[in-house]
Amino acid sequence: MTFAWKQAGLTYNRYLAVAARAVRRSLKDDKRLIAERRGESDLRFAKWTNGKQGEVINLADANAAAAVTKANAPAS
Amino acid sequence: MLSRAARPALKAGAAASSRAVAAPSTTATFATLREIEGRLKSIRNIEKITKTMKIVASTKLTRAQRSMQESRKYGQTSNEVYNSAETKSIEGEGKKKLVVVCSSDKGLCGGIHSGLSRYIRRQTDTFDIVIIGEKCRSQLVRTNAKDIVLNFAGAGKDVPTFAEAQAIADQIVQLPGDYTEVEIVYNKFINATSYEPSTIAAFSEDAFLSSPNYSAFEVEEDVLPNLREYGLANSLYWALSEGHACEISARRNAMDNASKNAGEMIGKYQILYNRTRQAAITGELVEIITGAIASEDM
Repeated sequence: MTFAWKQAGLTYNRYLAVAARAVRRSLKDDKRLIAERRGESDLRFAKWTNGKQGEVINLADANAAAAVTKANAPAS
Repeated sequence: MLSRAARPALKAGAAASSRAVAAPSTTATFATLREIEGRLKSIRNIEKITKTMKIVASTKLTRAQRSMQESRKYGQTSNEVYNSAETKSIEGEGKKKLVVVCSSDKGLCGGIHSGLSRYIRRQTDTFDIVIIGEKCRSQLVRTNAKDIVLNFAGAGKDVPTFAEAQAIADQIVQLPGDYTEVEIVYNKFINATSYEPSTIAAFSEDAFLSSPNYSAFEVEEDVLPNLREYGLANSLYWALSEGHACEISARRNAMDNASKNAGEMIGKYQILYNRTRQAAITGELVEIITGAIASEDM
């Protein structure tokens, strides 16, 4: 079984997140505002190499960027 | 006559000497009086702050606990598939373990973060560490800096959402290096005053494939990575929510104790302040009276 989103370079969690965001956005206004608050996060993360902390990056941006680079890479 | 004439002089002398002795002591008591007053004021302010933090934590607690109960049910249901497949982590050579530590960014909540750090330090085998939250990061940097591969900040400001857990899981999945085993360390909520660092295992595809009851599930192999990713997100959500509830409840207790201690200290300092004030007044009265008697006789 192959999935279109997998070929596009998305992970399952990313796929779920995108789907959830789409559902939240299509709700009616009153419910949408409450639901969209659940989708927000201002997580940051940093990669470590040899006991040194790397650059601190916003998590949501990094995940989106990773999906883009994977999508642009030739599908294997 | 002589005695009469001598008396004022004597008295003046006595008064002078007593003043000479008393003068530094009165200035000293005045200084300490002001000092005590200042200290009393600052303790009062601290008590106000801790009381407010306690109230804030109490109001947050119910929400956090509800989310914890829901997420626990959710995580357990998600792990049900591994239970019925009797999945065990793969033992043997070449296994690579990843430990995810779920703490948070904020302190002032007793020893729940250091409990997690201590748990990590107690482990003897080698593994890579992913840390969620600044508190455990600053603690583990000192001992396990070499093992850290990722750290996350900004989690646990509010009740954790599934979107957050998902984003974190997504980033963990993208780590280079095939981990045969992922373990999530979090604070287990036992009751309002006790927590215990415990672990949730998130299994890899291979572990699930080699589990005894695997044949009971008629699943195709290429959906297994999805299951692993999703299972990791579910377990993370569970761990984050339960850790958050523990933190809030620990903060409530810590702030409760802090307010109580501050109250005790205020009582003690109030008594000390009153006593010193009375002593100062008595001292002054003695001086005035002796002065008055001395001048009366002249």
